[in-house]
Amino acid sequence: MPRYELALILKAMQRPETAAALRRTVETLMERGAVVRDLENLGERLLPYKMTKHNQRHSRGSYFLVDFYAAPSILNGLLDHLHRDVDVVRPTVLKKDEQVSTSTTTCCGAPQSKNKSSIFK
Amino acid sequence: MLLVRRWQRLRPASNLRVDQGVRTASLESVQQQADDVLVKMENPYKQPQRGCILCNLNVDYKNTQFISPHSGRIYGRHLTGLCGRKQKEVSKAIKKAQALGFMPVTHKHPQFMKDPNICSTKRLE
Repeated sequence: MPRYELALILKAMQRPETAAALRRTVETLMERGAVVRDLENLGERLLPYKMTKHNQRHSRGSYFLVDFYAAPSILNGLLDHLHRDVDVVRPTVLKKDEQVSTSTTTCCGAPQSKNKSSIFK
Repeated sequence: MLLVRRWQRLRPASNLRVDQGVRTASLESVQQQADDVLVKMENPYKQPQRGCILCNLNVDYKNTQFISPHSGRIYGRHLTGLCGRKQKEVSKAIKKAQALGFMPVTHKHPQFMKDPNICSTKRLE
């Protein structure tokens, strides 16, 4: 099954409410047949720009990262559900690519500078 | 006996050929030398190809900082000094991070203002 990553931004809430929201999200995932692999907390911080969601203006948010395995057919339904959740500010599902370092052979090197003697000064 | 000795003496002289056919002798000797010395091999003094600074690193949307601190615009290739593939990956990752809500769009995050200056922008004073 392909691996996905859910970059979740939750509203800045108290700890029990955040825990409840996370629990709800993970349970939704598991109900739809996803296997949750990892849940990371990237902390609560100031959002890079103010976001408006569910008629509320958010300046702070808590960032979470959920790694999971899932069938591609559930993603639409899942995103729909997350958009409707009031506590979620911005949900995004990304595919996780297995980045093997294939760059050893194909990297062409730094572009040749004409006038500058060195780029790093 | 004397005749034999004369032949012997003449032979080395003929090999030298200093006076008459100097040019032809040198050409022949050069060709002989060329056959001996010119072995086909790669330039042994070739320096290993230098890659750009991000060559072997994995670019992720969670760790990109190649934007201007003032306007938040992504730096071009001539400023970052990255190779084609990496520049494309970095700009895509920046766009992704900005859309996801991980990175500011119009400016650079103050936390990263003190990073070492990789891009060759002249600071306007």
